[in-house]
Amino acid sequence: MTVKKDKGRKALLILLLIFPLLLAGCWNNRPLTEINIVAGMGLERTEDGKILVTVQVAEPGAIQPASAGGGSGGEKSKPVFVASNEGETVFEALRGMLAVVDKKLFLSTAQVLIIGEKLAQEGIGEILDFFERDYEVSYLVDVIVAKDATPDELLRIESDMDTIPAVYIKGTVENTAARGTVKKTLLIDLFKDMDCKGRQPTAGQITKSSDKEVRTEGLAVFRDGKLAGWLNPYETRGFLFANNELKGGIVNVPVDNGKAAFEIIRSKGSVSVEVEDGKPSMLIIRVNAEANVGEYGSGGRLDSLETLYMLEEKLGEEIGKEIEMALEKCQKEFASDIFGFGIYLHKYYPKCWKEVENDWHNIFSKLPADIRVDAKIMRVGLVINPVGKGE
Amino acid sequence: MGKTRISGLQLFMLLSGFLFGSTVILAPALGAKNDAWLAIIIGGTGGALLMLIYAAISLLNPSKTLVEILKEKMGKVLGSIIAVLYIWYFIHLASLVFRDFGEFICTVTFPETPMTVLISIFALGVVYGVNGGVEVMGRMGELLVPIIPTFILIVSVSLITVNDFTAFLPVLENGMGPVLKAALSYITFPFGETVAFLMLFPNLNRKEKLKKIVFVSAALSALISIVIFFRDISVLGSDLMSRVTFVPHSTTLLFPEANVDPLVDINLMIGGEAKIGVCIYAATKAISQVAGIENYTNLTRAVGAFCVVLSVWDFENVLDLFSWTERIYSYYAITFQVIIPLILLVLSLIKRSKPAEGSDADNEGVIASK
Repeated sequence: MTVKKDKGRKALLILLLIFPLLLAGCWNNRPLTEINIVAGMGLERTEDGKILVTVQVAEPGAIQPASAGGGSGGEKSKPVFVASNEGETVFEALRGMLAVVDKKLFLSTAQVLIIGEKLAQEGIGEILDFFERDYEVSYLVDVIVAKDATPDELLRIESDMDTIPAVYIKGTVENTAARGTVKKTLLIDLFKDMDCKGRQPTAGQITKSSDKEVRTEGLAVFRDGKLAGWLNPYETRGFLFANNELKGGIVNVPVDNGKAAFEIIRSKGSVSVEVEDGKPSMLIIRVNAEANVGEYGSGGRLDSLETLYMLEEKLGEEIGKEIEMALEKCQKEFASDIFGFGIYLHKYYPKCWKEVENDWHNIFSKLPADIRVDAKIMRVGLVINPVGKGE
Repeated sequence: MGKTRISGLQLFMLLSGFLFGSTVILAPALGAKNDAWLAIIIGGTGGALLMLIYAAISLLNPSKTLVEILKEKMGKVLGSIIAVLYIWYFIHLASLVFRDFGEFICTVTFPETPMTVLISIFALGVVYGVNGGVEVMGRMGELLVPIIPTFILIVSVSLITVNDFTAFLPVLENGMGPVLKAALSYITFPFGETVAFLMLFPNLNRKEKLKKIVFVSAALSALISIVIFFRDISVLGSDLMSRVTFVPHSTTLLFPEANVDPLVDINLMIGGEAKIGVCIYAATKAISQVAGIENYTNLTRAVGAFCVVLSVWDFENVLDLFSWTERIYSYYAITFQVIIPLILLVLSLIKRSKPAEGSDADNEGVIASK
């Protein structure tokens, strides 16, 4: 009898061990060969008010290492294809695309999400909801706004540099973000700022520079979820200085007979608001930057501390100018607080914030600003004095 | 009765797992927004006190389960009626946790798998564990529950780079009202739910440790909830945090370069297992004691199946579940979690339980004279 019971138990145990295997496989498991791997997505508003969704799909089979592809003269299959579809909602357009593509679209692999200028001007709040709600698109995808080009055009470029254009675009965003002229914006950053009255969302800017190349520089400024305007690369850098998001960059400073270039190594920025009698009275921006001398060919001798101090002052002035340009544009042209002064007020002066909250755009754009930049030059490089200026 | 014994550590782990239960996916006290940490501190203190009351009840009535205490203090008839209500409460609680679990997995991991299938497979494991008895559950807790804080710590530490540490400011923007309300809901969920442990406390091998165990696990649970809150608000910001469905899950989505939401899922499975296991155990044990059935294990399958059915029936959709938990649950639960235990405590203090056999008759006399 006991043997029988033991057998029954063993059978049960085996059965229970099989269950976890079932759990591991998804109900709707899809092998790699049955999905379309999406590399990039684009969204644009069409003339008649619909949403045009473009996807760039990578074909894993057609991607070959550059060395292998060169020799054979035969026609290669293209590594990517681009498809687009219209719909009244993002989701509908995306699903409707299955009428033109053969396999289901797999969105988790998307590298970039390009938002068209027209759509951005009309407001991105509604379309973002899908990306927020849907579990498939990664929250960490790069978002960029297209200027003077539609996302469709941008995704259809054929880059020489990377077989998959979306990967190429993402690469340029990362490069320029390291130079401080574009802000690397993740989808989650937009979600965070979208509903926040104390800071307006911003996103990187992308333009088409030739048939094969794009240029990612500048910043798209939003106001209440709608595109308000653009900042140029220098203003973008000013904004990043103030916002403590600058990773590095080259700042030119006028010297004796030309310009010298300084490389920013470290920078720390903070924004705050001065409150007087329960009312915001002054916007304050403080930046501490550390830089190295990168190029000093047109300058004079560099071996005295006085020169260095003078250069530090000039560098601070240059950075201050960039910040001022950015702030002025945001105040006068866009009336959009992208710096997060409102968040500061909300955090440290909640009572004051309650009063100004609903009129913050106007109040922000009229406040005077106090920008102070403290630049330090740490190192001068391998030589001290430039050519012809030595002893 | 009372042959199965669990050690202090096992009870502690089981209790902690129970407290983590669903709170690892549904961040507690979110009603207070930025001040949730205050609500957690207040609620945690209240919760610890409440759990100490349960411990006191159990200590005043040594080696008696909730049903036996109820019968002794309130008389056979009234005690049995209240015991039946408690059975309902435990079953309902188990079904609620099942539902939380199912909704989470369906939303996040397996959107096209029917929820019934997920819950049923989960229930199989839980019922199997409960069938093994208190000792098996205790050992399982000992083995698995330490994983929960470990994973929480791993995720929290790894996310330090994407933090805005001042995100929880300003303090008390909307006054104390929402904080107290959230604290109340935090007391009832999860602390008050440990009333189910009144069916388990008699199995502890060393009674003198009970109060310490209860207090430490409550404090630990509140502490970890605070850590989770600060992590989540630093990563998501208060605006986004008030909009997302499952806060800790959304936080893990931001984990750089890796997909770590299985770490949250595993926590849910372990915590949910402990919680549902204890609830089903409490319910079946209570049924067997009310109905006078010798071996409770015969009932676990039936009760487990009933919980699964109930969990699917309870609510039409996920929002129904949330709004019910948010609005009604606190008040519904207070009867079982606070009022009846308090009455029991008072009765226990007035009439110290006497081991003599005559006490039953005495009690009946008291009830009858009322």
